[in-house]
Amino acid sequence: MKSTSPISHLPAATLLFLVVATTAIADSPDLPLVRIGSKSSIENVILGEMLTLLADQAGGDARHQSALGGTQIVFAALKKGDIDAYIEYTGTLSQEILKGQRVRSDEDIRAALAKMNLAMSQPLGFNNTYALGMKADVAEKMQIASISDLAKAMKAANGSKLKFGFSDEFLKRGDGWPAVKVLYQFENQPTGLDHSLAYRGLDAGTLHVTDLYSTDPEIAKYKLKVLEDDLACFPEYHAVILYRADLKDRAPQVLENLLKLEGKIDNSTMMEMNTRVRIDHDRDINVAGDFLLSKLQIKTDSSEEKKWVVIGRDFVRNTTRHLLLVFCSLSAAIVVAVPLGIWAYKYSKVTHGILGIVGIIQTIPSMAVLVFMVPLLGLGEKPAIMALFLYSLLPIVRNTYAGLKEIPDNLKESAIVLGLSRQARLYLVELPIASRSILSGIKTAAVINVGTATIGGLIGAGGYGEPILTGIRLADVSLLLQGAIPAALLAVVVQGLFELLERLVVPKGLRLARAE
Amino acid sequence: MLELIEVSKSFGQTQVLKPTSLVLEPGKTTVFIGPSGCGKSTLLRIMIGLIEPSAGTVKFDGVEMTPRNIMQMRRKMGYVIQDGGLFPHLSARGNVGLMARYLGWEKQRVNARVEELARLTRLPDGALERYPSQLSGGQRQRLGIMRALMLDPSVILLDEPMGALDPLVRYDLQEDLRGIFQSLKKTVVLVTHDMGEAGFFGDTVVLLGGGEIVQQGTLDEMIRFPASDYVTRFINAQRLPGVEAKEVAAS
Repeated sequence: MKSTSPISHLPAATLLFLVVATTAIADSPDLPLVRIGSKSSIENVILGEMLTLLADQAGGDARHQSALGGTQIVFAALKKGDIDAYIEYTGTLSQEILKGQRVRSDEDIRAALAKMNLAMSQPLGFNNTYALGMKADVAEKMQIASISDLAKAMKAANGSKLKFGFSDEFLKRGDGWPAVKVLYQFENQPTGLDHSLAYRGLDAGTLHVTDLYSTDPEIAKYKLKVLEDDLACFPEYHAVILYRADLKDRAPQVLENLLKLEGKIDNSTMMEMNTRVRIDHDRDINVAGDFLLSKLQIKTDSSEEKKWVVIGRDFVRNTTRHLLLVFCSLSAAIVVAVPLGIWAYKYSKVTHGILGIVGIIQTIPSMAVLVFMVPLLGLGEKPAIMALFLYSLLPIVRNTYAGLKEIPDNLKESAIVLGLSRQARLYLVELPIASRSILSGIKTAAVINVGTATIGGLIGAGGYGEPILTGIRLADVSLLLQGAIPAALLAVVVQGLFELLERLVVPKGLRLARAE
Repeated sequence: MLELIEVSKSFGQTQVLKPTSLVLEPGKTTVFIGPSGCGKSTLLRIMIGLIEPSAGTVKFDGVEMTPRNIMQMRRKMGYVIQDGGLFPHLSARGNVGLMARYLGWEKQRVNARVEELARLTRLPDGALERYPSQLSGGQRQRLGIMRALMLDPSVILLDEPMGALDPLVRYDLQEDLRGIFQSLKKTVVLVTHDMGEAGFFGDTVVLLGGGEIVQQGTLDEMIRFPASDYVTRFINAQRLPGVEAKEVAAS
């Protein structure tokens, strides 16, 4: 990505040690810093790269926080000022982000955004909404071009043979099938099925109509006809650039360059670009660069690097970031959780409270923790470390508490009757005896942490989550493995390190006692 | 020395120890004996402050025992439980010397004292460097006693110290222990349910039943002049060869 290019020629080993300094080195004070975000779909990442290239070309110090999870995280980051611009859809703005504010027109949306010091561009051109599609040849034979045609055909004697198969979400959403059914007066009962199966069904002729997004690359791949929504049933999802209002003052040229995209990308162009990335496995930055060159005659710096250089550099960067996330969150968790476990053991009044709270924290889905943390801590490592820290508490607190609790009464009493103070009993007797249990709690937390740290990919914190999530998005198994294999190996290494640590930390007498 | 004044203990509604007064004879061994649940262990645990009495006072060297001074008093007492209660993470030497090290004794002094006690309790060579899990039951109990003696306390309290040992090991240990107690002139309280052991150790035997002292004196007195049917039954239940307590006199 662009932000690391100034140091890309440094040897990998040096990079490892300089990682903390990289942010400082990469900062160029003369250029206005412009941070572009993107949601994690293929389309959004391509457009994010496009915005980044444009910002860079207009003289900005452009960075792309790519594939940041869902709408809520990206919008929260924009509001907080962690990113300056990203691609959003008008439908998402009115139905989801500004839900409850009764926005009806684009003007309403602009007014509501202005209150948050945000602004919206004119539509880029394409409308990525729900659509109904069928095989082009079948549609042509039956002379179906619109949904009304389809409804008419269904009422005719030969049309009732057509089978409808929709994704579960489309079947249930208020603006999906229920709306279509009422407006176009369908009477048949569609079946629910997975999207990828639906495409195969269409190909095989066992299914005739399915729901699509209007820029899906599969439309071209499977030669589908997108039926015209002639009664305007589906809400409009026009792509727009959402940006912070202060960008106009801070980097006017950059904004001007970004807004050149207005009205330039129609549905088929977007679909082609999606196809190149999704089906042909082209890099999103190249697809974005080609578009800018051919449609806007803008030449951008998206020069191709050798693949192994990219892989090697990404590996070092991801490993360093991953270790950083795990190390920081685990250290903080140890410092907090061991004393919490001791309190839970010493003061029976707070036992249930402490164990209950850390237990509840553990059940909160990681996505929910991130959605909650990003508005508070912004993007990057901080919210990721915070989330990992929270997830590390339970195993350590529990094992500290259990390890102390399980010490036989006669040993606890032996320490008392010797005349040791409460403090001394804890440090000289109880904690050493519980050390194995405490350490195994920390080990569990560390191993879980190595796996969970992949959520860092959702909020621009880096780590192995980045190639994993990108691999999932692009259906690129080799990319996915570039994250998954090192993550698994790291978990094994961590496990091994803790077994060595046990030899150092757990007193010999306890190890002998267990061996018997 | 140790003195109990009208000490009682209840757990909820159940009174496990009725108001009891007792003065320990300095330099002598007192044995608490009685069946399970008679209150003998409760009484011992009150003496070292593991149980706080519901009423009454415990005095040590004339000073009333309170939660504030109990820690200091414990350092002048030794307490031995069944199987030694040794800390598994410390070597035998570490266990015995723990308290002295905590109090800041120099290493040489700690080691000299530990080795002196090892000779006194006839602990086998090399056992000091082993860990509790590597030692026999008898060795563990000798270490428990060494740990209790480490700071040279004036009072030693033992709660069924030989309950878990097999008879031959137990016999040797009993012999050694009595010798140690007599030569060191310690004030000793030993809890047991074994009449033979009580007679072997006890200058004074205190028989408890139902949470109170039933009879107090030498074993011989108990056999010849039992205070109640309960005493008679308890002594005869031990089936000591050649020993049979008399019926309680009709008077």
